[in-house]
This record gives sequence, structure tokens and C-alpha cells, in this order.
Amino acid sequence: MDKLFFYNQIDNENITYRDLIMILNGKADYHIGTSQTYGDIFINIIRTLLQGKPVTGVTDMILKIRRAKDWNINLYTSGTTGIPKKVTHSFDSLTREIKVSRDRAEDIWGLAYNPMHMAGLQVFFQALLNGNSIINLFKLSKKNIYKLIEQFNITHISATATFYRQLLPCNKIFPSIKQITFGGEKYSDKVSGEIKKIFPNARILNIYASTEAGSLFTSNGDIFWIKDRYIPFVRVVDNELLIHKDILGEFGLSGDWYHTGDMVEIININPLRFRFVARKNEIINVGGYNVSPHEVEEIISKYPKVKNVVVYGKPNSVLGNIICADIEAVASIGQKNIRLFLKDKLADYKIPRIINFVDKVEMTETGKVKRI
Amino acid sequence: MDKLKEIINEILDNSERETIKNIRDDMSLTDDIGFDSLDLAELTVHVEKVFGIDIFEDGFVESIGDIRKKIGI
Repeated sequence: MDKLFFYNQIDNENITYRDLIMILNGKADYHIGTSQTYGDIFINIIRTLLQGKPVTGVTDMILKIRRAKDWNINLYTSGTTGIPKKVTHSFDSLTREIKVSRDRAEDIWGLAYNPMHMAGLQVFFQALLNGNSIINLFKLSKKNIYKLIEQFNITHISATATFYRQLLPCNKIFPSIKQITFGGEKYSDKVSGEIKKIFPNARILNIYASTEAGSLFTSNGDIFWIKDRYIPFVRVVDNELLIHKDILGEFGLSGDWYHTGDMVEIININPLRFRFVARKNEIINVGGYNVSPHEVEEIISKYPKVKNVVVYGKPNSVLGNIICADIEAVASIGQKNIRLFLKDKLADYKIPRIINFVDKVEMTETGKVKRI
Repeated sequence: MDKLKEIINEILDNSERETIKNIRDDMSLTDDIGFDSLDLAELTVHVEKVFGIDIFEDGFVESIGDIRKKIGI
């Protein structure tokens, strides 16, 4: 049977590597409808990388892609806040952290990100350069995601904590999964623990990547360190992570250091070990005290029956800001119960004073929780 | 007035404090009812939701009477 390149239930796409080679060599057409599908996006990217060169097979295609010169792609920061920003990446800056090896040849990837954003492209290149199959899981229901994991024996998934949270609860186990990667949002110990029960054979990784920098650090928990080759390019100033322009995509940065807006807590200075705390613009100032919404979300999510939660600040005439929480619960929970639960776990100014129970916590286009 | 009492008691009850039976104009929000600044922040949100007025918008509100004047009940 021909090896699958890409399966996407949403648009009925089912492309094998044999199909892909024929399409690239102009021996077959590829277009399904009027709107652009994920398959169209992937094929277009490969076409531009090959610059019209014919390929003899999958190995030849991968070799030619890896030799791509003068190729770049424009990405736009998704922006949980603010205006989207254009970032131009070369093939090298985009695939810097992609690992290619023979023992990865049989990996089967679940795509749980928008394919036109940084994280989705990382999954795409990781799979493509190893000749792996990609199964789209983005924007599918919990039921369909589990169905596809089983049907295709998916081995690797990279997704946000929010995506994994939506897979909970689940009584079944899925032994085919070998690796689960968390990225794009603050890592959650609770979700990671629950996910490990469903995928008992999985190694859990946490990755730090951004549209500006691509993929930079990985960790097996919430504490990150810096690989030797990046040490000169990474700094922490006033608890904010700074990255040197030499390892970034191009977006008209003034000065040499890019302020990521990611606030970190330093665990060790030399060698540098740190933990992400929040985005700078997410920190909520309550009467002079700083509150990280993630810390509050993490604790609320430990309350039974809480499925999803988003914590945010609202302008308030007494304190500057007041902490609010939107909670998506599987059964009814009283506001008072949540408050009492938090009482001995959080400082009083961190406890949400306005709690709304909602049907669904809103997500951004990239699958991150939307802060209001 | 009942609605205002209801809001105050809900704030007290949410952190398991004793609720109050009656409110009077001369009652101080901090000294008599025992509200701290976090409680007052919450109070202003709930009052605004019901009466459409941010009672702390232009200065500090001390007593029940002050609130009544602001919201016109």
C-alpha cells in the first residue's frame, strides 16, 4: 500500500506520497474546491521549495527541499492581543529544530494546529522531512480525534494545553502515541498528568516557540534550559526573555535584541534554568499587586468538574483591575464553592471576584484561550 | 434598598462571613460591614451591573447613604 502523506477528514483529502510525487512532477492535478484546503497549502509550500525541479521519488524530494535556497515564507503573529505582525522566515530559520533520522521514518503525526501558523508548519516540516504521514486533527471533535488516533495509529501529537484539555476526560487508553508535545500556551502540570494516563506510552515534551523565533527550547516539564548553541543569543532582563536578532525571522526589529514579552522566573543563573510565568501584557495589576492569569487558571482547573477556565482582568475604579474568571464546567458548581476552594491556595488579591459560568470558553484561531 | 442588601450579603456569604439583616444609611462599608478594598471592587461591579452606575468612579464611597445618593434610590 502506498504510504500516506496527508489525510484531512474535513475536506475529504487523502493524499499518498505517490500522489504527491505525481502532482509535483505535473503528472496529476491537485485541486479540490474553490477554497484553499490544508492539502493545497502543503503542496504549494513544497512546490515553491522545489522551484519547479522534477523529483524521482520521496528521498529525492526531501533532499531537494533541504537544499532549498532563497526561499522564504511570510507568517503573521496570531496575537492574543494587538495587531498581527508580518515575520519573514527562511527555510533554515523555520526548520532549525526539525530532527531528521532513520528511526523517525515511521512516525505518524497528528496535526493539531492551523497549518499556516508557526506551530503547524513545525509539525508539517518535521513530518515531511522524515517522510511521515500527517493526519489532520485541527478543528475536529473529541470523538473524531480519538477515532483518527486509533484508525491511523498516530504516534506523535503537538498541540496547545487547550487542545489536550478538550480531550479530557477519557476512560480509554491509546497505546500508539509515543510523544505528546505541549506548546503555544503555558504548560499545565494537571493536564499533562491526565494526558499521560490516556497515552501511557508517550514521552511528554514542552516546547517554546514563537512566530518571531520559531522553535527554540524544549523541556520535559515546566523548567527550560538553553542549548549550548543558543546561549549567546538568549538573555533574561527584568524577568523578560530577550532573543538576539541573529536567530529570528525578519520583521524590521530595531536594535539587536527582541523583547519577547514572555516573563520568566529564573530557577538557576549559571547554567540558566527558567520557567515561563506569563506574557508581559497578560500580567494583571490589582491594586499594585501583579497577578499571572495562568497561575490562577492552573489552580481553578484543579477543582473537580472544571473543564476549561480563562482568567482576565477588567478595569475597576477601586483597584485598577479586578480579576475575573470564565469557567466552563461539566456540571453545576457554585461560585462560593470555587472561592472557598481557592481561599487557602491563592493570595486574596489573586482570587477572582467576578466568576461567570459559561457554555464554552472562547478560543483564538490558533487554539489558544482567548483573554478578554 | 433590598437589592443593595442582597449584593452586599452575597459578597459576605461568598467568603463565609456573617450576612447582615438590615442596612442603614449611616453604616460604614469598611467599619460596620467589614469590607476590604477587594470587596469594594467587587461591590462596584455588581452595583454597576444592576443600577448602571460606577459608584467609585469619581471618589471614595464611605457609607450606605453615599451609595444611595450615587445610584438615586
